[in-house]
Amino acid sequence: MLNTVETRVPVTVLTGFLGAGKTTLLNRVLTENHGKRIAVIENEFGEIGIDNDLVIGAEEEIFEMNNGCICCTVRGDLIRILGHLMKRRDKFDYIMVETTGMADPGPVAQTFYVDDDMQEKLMLDAIVTVVDAKHIWEHIDDSDEAKEQVAFADVILLNKIDLVAPEDLDRLEARIKSMNKMAKICRTRDAVVEMDNILNVGGFNLDRALEIDPKFMEPEYPFEWSGIYELNTGTYEWVMGEGPDPAMGAALLPLANNGLAAKEATLMDAVLTFSEDEQAVNAGETLHLGKGQHNQLVLNGQGETVFNFVIQRPGHYMLFTEHHPDEFDAHLCGTDAVLAPLETREYKPDHEHDEEVTSVGITIPGDFHLERLNSWLGQLLRVHGLDIFRMKGVLSVRGWNERFVFQGVHMLFDGRPDRPWGNEKRQNKMIFIGRNLDRAALEEGFRACLVS
Amino acid sequence: MSGFMMRRKDKRKPPQPSLQAMWRTDIDDHPIGLAWSPDGKLLAAAGVSGPITLFSGRDGALQGNLPGHTLGTMAISWHKDSRLLASVGQDGKVRLWDTKTGRQTSEMAGGASWVERVAFSPAGDWLVSAAGRKLRLWDTSGELKYEYPDANSTITDIKWRHDGKQFAISAYNGVVLYDPTKAEPLNRFEWQGSTLTLEWSPDGKHIATGDQDSTVHFWLVATGQDLQMWGYETKVLELAWSSNSRYLATGGGTQAVIWDCSGKGPENTKPIMVEGHRHLIKHLKFQRRGRLLASGGNDGLLAIWKIEKKKPVMLADAVFKTPIAGLAWSPNDRYIAVSDESGILSIAAVQ
Repeated sequence: MLNTVETRVPVTVLTGFLGAGKTTLLNRVLTENHGKRIAVIENEFGEIGIDNDLVIGAEEEIFEMNNGCICCTVRGDLIRILGHLMKRRDKFDYIMVETTGMADPGPVAQTFYVDDDMQEKLMLDAIVTVVDAKHIWEHIDDSDEAKEQVAFADVILLNKIDLVAPEDLDRLEARIKSMNKMAKICRTRDAVVEMDNILNVGGFNLDRALEIDPKFMEPEYPFEWSGIYELNTGTYEWVMGEGPDPAMGAALLPLANNGLAAKEATLMDAVLTFSEDEQAVNAGETLHLGKGQHNQLVLNGQGETVFNFVIQRPGHYMLFTEHHPDEFDAHLCGTDAVLAPLETREYKPDHEHDEEVTSVGITIPGDFHLERLNSWLGQLLRVHGLDIFRMKGVLSVRGWNERFVFQGVHMLFDGRPDRPWGNEKRQNKMIFIGRNLDRAALEEGFRACLVS
Repeated sequence: MSGFMMRRKDKRKPPQPSLQAMWRTDIDDHPIGLAWSPDGKLLAAAGVSGPITLFSGRDGALQGNLPGHTLGTMAISWHKDSRLLASVGQDGKVRLWDTKTGRQTSEMAGGASWVERVAFSPAGDWLVSAAGRKLRLWDTSGELKYEYPDANSTITDIKWRHDGKQFAISAYNGVVLYDPTKAEPLNRFEWQGSTLTLEWSPDGKHIATGDQDSTVHFWLVATGQDLQMWGYETKVLELAWSSNSRYLATGGGTQAVIWDCSGKGPENTKPIMVEGHRHLIKHLKFQRRGRLLASGGNDGLLAIWKIEKKKPVMLADAVFKTPIAGLAWSPNDRYIAVSDESGILSIAAVQ
């Protein structure tokens, strides 16, 4: 059945550690005047009708489906309760499912793919994870559940921001983004959030991810930062403190003018420069200037290290650094003062240090061969399903006028046509979130499924 | 594991409907329980929102309304005397009703907020209820006889053996057998999966189960031996034994699969396939003594089949606008009651 009008009831799954603010958020959803009839399935017993809404208690019953395969683990209680709910005449516009604090979001998400009745009548709209901005640090490094809750999320509420300093919040947000680039992040206090941010999020909208994080799916660069400086003839000092690494790559390139075209050209020069062999530059030495000069700034073991910039022609210069200078407290000093760059830019790095949970976004042109894609994806998921937490994609399939959308959880995936491409440019966008993902292999695998 | 959904080609339309309704009514609710009184005089229909309506089996005349359960009725069961009706629901209660007066005679606590299953024993001496993992045995006055140890997970079905001397429950992990005169389970048939429904063969030799993992199991009750049938399209919630215990009809897809248990079967035999539904089959019922099988599906088709070894023959059919919600043969096998999800309830004579 070709169903372009979505008639399935959307479901939001709410995850988050105990005390993060899930219940506060649920109460907000139930009392907010959003005009929807919402059924809430929560962890406590009993059933309460609240005005139009309904709260049903459930005891999480996690079932393995095929003799112990974790990828086929589902919530049996949800199949029963939601199955019954969908028979009711007083239809609900929306369903929210709250999970217990330590829950792995996998089984609840998989439930919406494994069971035919569920798949026919319900649609997983979004996984919303509430994060206690203050206490998450206690879990994020060593709790698999905390990592999975972040990795599975479509929306992350950084809650209790009033208890955390703004710079810690930025640090947390950066950390979360390095694990899950797809999620929309909302900073909240007492879980106050616009309902539009958590209801009807629309799981398939990859454009949202592009909107929220302009770095998402951008080409990747071998450097994280660039700054433009206006420099006169003379010697400058590039001062670096101790940082996460004992050395850092850098390139200093002249910029013809401050126009966009010149910046883009210099950016390409920098990419080429970073592909050259590195030349070590030790403390007190001068950086090699210009295209092709890939400097490796070697830091002293302790304290500050000073490198020199020797400028012979006044003008604009663009400095590219492998890491963000802030990580090393790095700055450029003129004769009597610290020089601020005229403008800076941050780049999406092509590596994520030390983070086993990451996301890989792929954008490729062309049309897919559906059967080839189906069989390749099937095989990929059989082998790597455990490590792939979530995936989403909007694909262009040969012979189809409609966009083909797919999403999946672990080994399970569901693909179907949605609206026609119309004037939109036909292309393929996909994102995978999981553990130990191999970008090159994923991309190569996809390319092999294109119609040549 | 699911894959990409392809465009579904609709199969040939079934022939002109041939089953004529004797009477037809509308309960204006999604029917979840449809049960004939053992004397065939009354048909009870429970709606998902709670109320239970009693109709005359002969002409559909309204015979009574029972309030049922606030928040929703989950299941009903008739007592052998055709007067007492048990119901369970989302108010956590087991209720007994005198259908003659319309009055509630007993109200018992099921043990959890949703009481999902209830079954009177064939002789009418016992009533079993299941609420979550709680299993309770009652007498007909509502006195609690046993509260059994909690099941491994939510109990999905309860069925009495036809002689009433044992009953079995299903849950995640398989089947547990009980004797109503003993406080401890008699036996367990274990399967690492979520068992959704069970049926005793009328001769009591087999218990068939339908499972969430798209399998069907035949347990040999005497030995506990498990025969497994794999390859169903989806979870299996539809099971029906023929009265002579020879055939087991199973759903779990758009075709019904019938296993022949005569001779060495069903092991290593090729089942009989019943083709004609265009969507998932949701109900299968054999006549109580006769050989005919009724099937009802999400395509709204109700079909009556004669089982032939080569190819089943569709004897009669009727098409409803919405998926079939329930089927029940009258005790004398001459009528079939059917309801669809919109609440239409009708009875047709089957020759």
